[in-house]
Amino acid sequence: MMLSRQVIEPNNPAFDQSQQFGLLLSPAVRGGDFVFLSGMAAIDPATGAPAHGTVAAETRQILTNIGELLEAAGSSLAKVVKVNVLIYSMLEYENMNSVFREFFPTDPPARTVCGVKLIGGHKVEIECIALA
Amino acid sequence: MRAVIPAPVPGLDLGREYGHHQSPAIRAGGLIFCSGMVAINPDTGEREHGTVTSEARRIFENLKLLLESAGSSLDRIVQVHAMIYDRIEYDVLNRVYRQYVPNAPPARTVMSVQIEAGFKVMLDVTAAA
Repeated sequence: MMLSRQVIEPNNPAFDQSQQFGLLLSPAVRGGDFVFLSGMAAIDPATGAPAHGTVAAETRQILTNIGELLEAAGSSLAKVVKVNVLIYSMLEYENMNSVFREFFPTDPPARTVCGVKLIGGHKVEIECIALA
Repeated sequence: MRAVIPAPVPGLDLGREYGHHQSPAIRAGGLIFCSGMVAINPDTGEREHGTVTSEARRIFENLKLLLESAGSSLDRIVQVHAMIYDRIEYDVLNRVYRQYVPNAPPARTVMSVQIEAGFKVMLDVTAAA
């Protein structure tokens, strides 16, 4: 059985980082029952420019953008099954966690958080897998 | 369908123990996605900091509990992201890792990152349901 693979066109071109920054990636790809999102940093949905801020602010912007991107793929935040959160310092864990809570009020997805060196001066990057 | 897999024992509920806003695991589309597992005592929820070897052992024992409670098992793991605090411990991780997935090991990526609460190892696992 051959499962389908389909690149999802974002409803907002600002989310297409391959267009914005010349990155070789698709923002979202559907494969089988799932939608796989590229790691997203905080970008201004109006302009596509980086939206640098605190860990809380970047987390809020990213999850808002991810919500929109998922909707464009016919999915939603409620259908997210796994999230990987990359932050620049684990000291900021709780600043991310408290905002994260607002976006997944019940039955939150499985999640892995780790501290890494991010590109572009961002403090947070989030990738996720959702049911289509 | 998307279903939360609850902690099989109280200590493995990191939401309850430490306020981590995450489910222990989610079952969806024939797969089980586990949250990053660290060396937690499954009965008490206490953090069991130790060596890479002792932490990895505890993590695999915890994953065994979690996966088997969901009808899966260590043998059914398809992918592992193994995170360690320092790449210099890579071979140490491998020695203990090999004992838990001796045959037809899952796909794996190892990376050196900062892990929560001063842990040395974290395993992020996806398994067939």
